Amino acid sequence: MKNNQRITDNNFEEEVLKSPIPVLVDFWGSWCLPSQMMMPVLDRLSQEYDGRVKIRKINVDQNPGARDKYRILGCPTIILFNNGEEIERKVGAQSDNQLREIIDMSAISSR
Amino acid sequence: MHNKDCTCWNCPAIDLAGKVDFRACGQSVEDFRKKMGLDESYQVMAECKRRPELGLFDPMSITYEECPQWEKSHYGYLLKNMRVMILGVDGYLGWSLVLWLGSLGCQVSGVDNYNRRDWVKERGAHTVVPISRMSERLKASKEILDVEINFRQIDILNERDRLREFIDEVKPEAIIHYGECPSAPYSMIDLNHATLVQQNNVLGTLGVLFMMRDIVPESSMIKLGTMGEYGTPLTGRPIFEGIFPADAVLKWDNREWSMGGELTPRDPVSFYHVSKVQDTYNVVEACKYWWLRSYDVMQGVIYGVHTDHVAADPRLRTRLDIDEWFGTVINRFVAQAIIGLPLTLYGSGEQIRGFIALQDAMQCMTRLIGYPPEPGEYSVVNQMSGFYSVRVLARTVAKIGKEEFKLPVKIQRVENPRVESERHPFEPIYEKLSRKYGFKPSITLEEEIYNMFHLLTNPEIKKRIEEKKHHIIPKTWWSGEKRRVDTLEIYDLEKEIEESEK
Repeated sequence: MKNNQRITDNNFEEEVLKSPIPVLVDFWGSWCLPSQMMMPVLDRLSQEYDGRVKIRKINVDQNPGARDKYRILGCPTIILFNNGEEIERKVGAQSDNQLREIIDMSAISSR
Repeated sequence: MHNKDCTCWNCPAIDLAGKVDFRACGQSVEDFRKKMGLDESYQVMAECKRRPELGLFDPMSITYEECPQWEKSHYGYLLKNMRVMILGVDGYLGWSLVLWLGSLGCQVSGVDNYNRRDWVKERGAHTVVPISRMSERLKASKEILDVEINFRQIDILNERDRLREFIDEVKPEAIIHYGECPSAPYSMIDLNHATLVQQNNVLGTLGVLFMMRDIVPESSMIKLGTMGEYGTPLTGRPIFEGIFPADAVLKWDNREWSMGGELTPRDPVSFYHVSKVQDTYNVVEACKYWWLRSYDVMQGVIYGVHTDHVAADPRLRTRLDIDEWFGTVINRFVAQAIIGLPLTLYGSGEQIRGFIALQDAMQCMTRLIGYPPEPGEYSVVNQMSGFYSVRVLARTVAKIGKEEFKLPVKIQRVENPRVESERHPFEPIYEKLSRKYGFKPSITLEEEIYNMFHLLTNPEIKKRIEEKKHHIIPKTWWSGEKRRVDTLEIYDLEKEIEESEK
């Protein structure tokens, strides 16, 4: 995994809640096959949306703080944050097109 | 180094037991906290079994690059004196790997009950490259390579208590599982053989999984699967690495879903392959229930005789089978070429398979050992370095035999005793090993075929091929028939070689 996309409980606030641009956060677990298979898709989207939307990944076992705060009950859970607020959430594997839809729709509604 | 950023989270020396709330299957966070007496702000902590002086620490804070227990090797960082146990250590792959890893500094142990020797003997065949008895092998590995192998004769299916004791004594940090019967035709001989193969493979592996849960849950199981689990889908869709990627989409009834994370369909082509498919599900479940870590290695058809270690002394040679049950296709072709028997293509000869040379398979395994999966991670690699039709392989063998060794090689088509697609699309995906684990093939198909001719033309080995040549042409039919297949056609070799040069 690309390390610059990995975040932890310690920098969650800085990276996500205080971000000036929207952030798509993937809450994932190493034991979760759909989580594993989302990684390459998220890497691609990270490049595609570079500068407009940040893509970040947080491991739910290593980071109980964020996991519990956002009541993550299944993996992967994808949450789109804007101005520190949760504006969209999806649970389960998402295709690249489904992710684009989430990002693009929410970008419009959050304007 | 490709694995420099891995942390203690991946390392088998970590002790996470009871300290991490793995939440597969929606376990309740509240229950876990209550049980562990944790408040809402707890952090993940672990201990290191190799460096107890660290006390409780954050397992993501130390990388392999920073840890003195992980040392640089030709294949990335490797855990110092890593304890690796090989099940099936007396076999073609197991013996090659134990010498390979031992020479890299791993503390190697091995288990075998000589099933493979017995099965081959039962069929009236033998390994054409003579191999020593285990006691001699162990002595030679110490003497020639300074590799000490902690060997125990154990049947992993019928002597589970002894295997449990051995695992408990060694506490392996990785378990390489080569302890299965690898033959499709052997499983198709009759009911007894099908039962033996499925029991040995499926139930043997199931026992090992339970032992890992109880004794070494942080260790990883690197298990040999086969590309044959997937079959050859006639739709022509790609053959993914075991699991659908997230951008593979199911469209139906004007709706669509990501298939990400679902196991890809399997289409086994013998009762042996069925045992491998069943294994896959057992391993997936063990990872899911107990957070075991596993690589399922879907190996292409293996071929070759050479690694530097097995070639270091005649007593260190690994076995090579060429009979219809245990001889893989390229190995069999070279043996046929040497004794002047036409190379046999089953049916059309247009079947396409993935292949990998012995020494490249060893490299892949080493790289996987050095990059253990994360807790609960079940990961699949398609382990092959190229794919060819069987007919193209026959031409390649014929050409090298003729041009380099002056052998008058012929190629024939015979009836196909198997039930399989003879003409099919084939689009395997096999990029993970190179992309994530840094694998680079170290030898070409032609070079390894040359190595094989070089070794097998040795008069003693040639004699051993001659002695068992009646076991090369198949008599085991998937239908249950027992008769020698008939020849359908003998090819004009010049034309075939001409074709191969196009």
